[in-house]
Amino acid sequence: MPRASALCQADVFMPTVDVLELRKVFKVPVRETGLRNSLRSLFRREHRMVHAVRGVSFSLEPGEIVGFLGPNGAGKTTTLKMLSGLLYPDGGEAHVLGFRPERREAEFLRRVALIMGNRNSLQWDLPVADSLELRRAIYEVDRVDFEVRKAAYTEMLDVGELLTKPVRNLSLGERMKVEILASLVPHPQVLFLDEPTIGLDITMQKRIREFVATYAADTGASVLLTSHYMADVTALAERVIVIHHGNILFDGNLAGLSDRFTAHKTIVVAVAGELGPLAHLGRVVEQNSFKAILEVSRDEIATVAARLLADYSVTDLSIEDPPIEDVIEQAFAIGEAQEAEEAGEAHP
Amino acid sequence: MNGIRLAIMHWKVGAMHEVQYRVNFFLQLIDSVIRLATGLIAIWLVFSHTDDLAGWSRHELLVVMGIHILLSGINRTFVEPNVFQFIYTIGEGEFDYVLARPVDSQLLVSVRNLRFWQLVDVVVGVVVIGWAVSGIVETTSLPEVLAFLVAVSCGAVILYCMWMVVAAAAFKWIRVDDTVQLLNGLFQAGRWPVTIYPGWLRLTLTFVVPLAFAITVPAESLASKLSGGMLVLTVIVTGVMLLITRVAWQRGVRNYSGASA
Repeated sequence: MPRASALCQADVFMPTVDVLELRKVFKVPVRETGLRNSLRSLFRREHRMVHAVRGVSFSLEPGEIVGFLGPNGAGKTTTLKMLSGLLYPDGGEAHVLGFRPERREAEFLRRVALIMGNRNSLQWDLPVADSLELRRAIYEVDRVDFEVRKAAYTEMLDVGELLTKPVRNLSLGERMKVEILASLVPHPQVLFLDEPTIGLDITMQKRIREFVATYAADTGASVLLTSHYMADVTALAERVIVIHHGNILFDGNLAGLSDRFTAHKTIVVAVAGELGPLAHLGRVVEQNSFKAILEVSRDEIATVAARLLADYSVTDLSIEDPPIEDVIEQAFAIGEAQEAEEAGEAHP
Repeated sequence: MNGIRLAIMHWKVGAMHEVQYRVNFFLQLIDSVIRLATGLIAIWLVFSHTDDLAGWSRHELLVVMGIHILLSGINRTFVEPNVFQFIYTIGEGEFDYVLARPVDSQLLVSVRNLRFWQLVDVVVGVVVIGWAVSGIVETTSLPEVLAFLVAVSCGAVILYCMWMVVAAAAFKWIRVDDTVQLLNGLFQAGRWPVTIYPGWLRLTLTFVVPLAFAITVPAESLASKLSGGMLVLTVIVTGVMLLITRVAWQRGVRNYSGASA
């Protein structure tokens, strides 16, 4: 039956995460400084509404790893918590694996995982293996599956020696690795990673990245990842969503991000012989007699490159996007400016 | 996942953890003995002046005290450690992980901890009740024992509900440790049958903080003072308390805003 098969296909390609106009407002008490004000607030407390998420929409496909970027307080964690069923949204709708997260059905909670860096969800005083066993029981993971996955992940994360130690005796990096191990043993199909590598050294960061990438590739799980380490994002995600003050500024691939937010590219050129003055071609970032770095506007890249090739005997020439950190910084700055402009229009 | 299995699993872990700290056992024993002694002295003082306190004989008052110790033991073994851990996790933002688990959050919060050595109080309570009952002149009938078992179970549930309702306030006010201490203070009033208190206090201890149903009613069942109607009412009050606790919990979870917000 063609109709049925078409439906099946539609099902396969259904997004795992589908978010429409999601909102969250927090009521925060206003605390003023000083004893007198503190005493006054005992009787009359003032509140302020903080719009943490102001209507974000996006969707994730199965197997997709997406970087979720934004400065502190942009609404990343709030969004992740709403999608994992921890916070009740104040507006909009989210579907994760076809479930409404805020209903917190057991089946939904079994199939998603939220991992937060620098936080501990394991039993502090128990050996890691006991915590894993507890997790297995709560998530109703089949015994055989559990042992197989535990063995495989233990090896991949190199945590074999840690399983018999109490969690409180582990270092930050070790704790994060067993945290990830425990969260993935139930085989979640959607992973929300909130700063999973925060505070970890480079080797540990790399190991965790590799593990996440392998897990997503093997299981087809969707991953939404926030991180302040751009290396995490560039290594794992092709697509990024940039959020600022609760609004989505950008949703697309990483290359598109720099196209959108920076008007420049960088040309690095090396020549045999002597370089003349280059200021007329673009902004000179660095120059010595045989090598230069130029910042050139995107429209003129081809022309400038051709000029350089024609004028000098070029030994090496590369055209690069600006470093991703700079692009992100630029994106946040533009977001800030846009907002100021809108606020200005609202209150002339 | 089955709630009883979940509880047993956590209690096993909790017991394993507690047994390591044997010194707690002796401290708990000393604590229980001191409280038993002060209780006995108070009863002795009262009955050195009179033979009857608002219709309660010496042995009947001992039953009340025994039930008070028993329920206090159950509460401090199973309920209070969980309530304090919950309040702590709310403040620290670790409650996120309770909500993330595919089991009922109220159930999980209620069974995560066990203060094993506090069970000493449960044993002491049972001994005191047995001793007191043997001293009551009229023999206790089987239906009275059954009524007692029902009533004392209801009592334990009512206390759980009282503590959990206060705990659920932590969703809104975060720091409610002091309120739990207040509850402990009120609980001390249950050492005596509520019928000895003046009207306003009796009403408060019956309908606002239902200690009358939790402690006095089970004692009345053993002292042949309980009517069938009162027992039914106790069961109904227990049901209502469970319902109130559930609603308070669910509203709390819905308004939960996390620690980082």
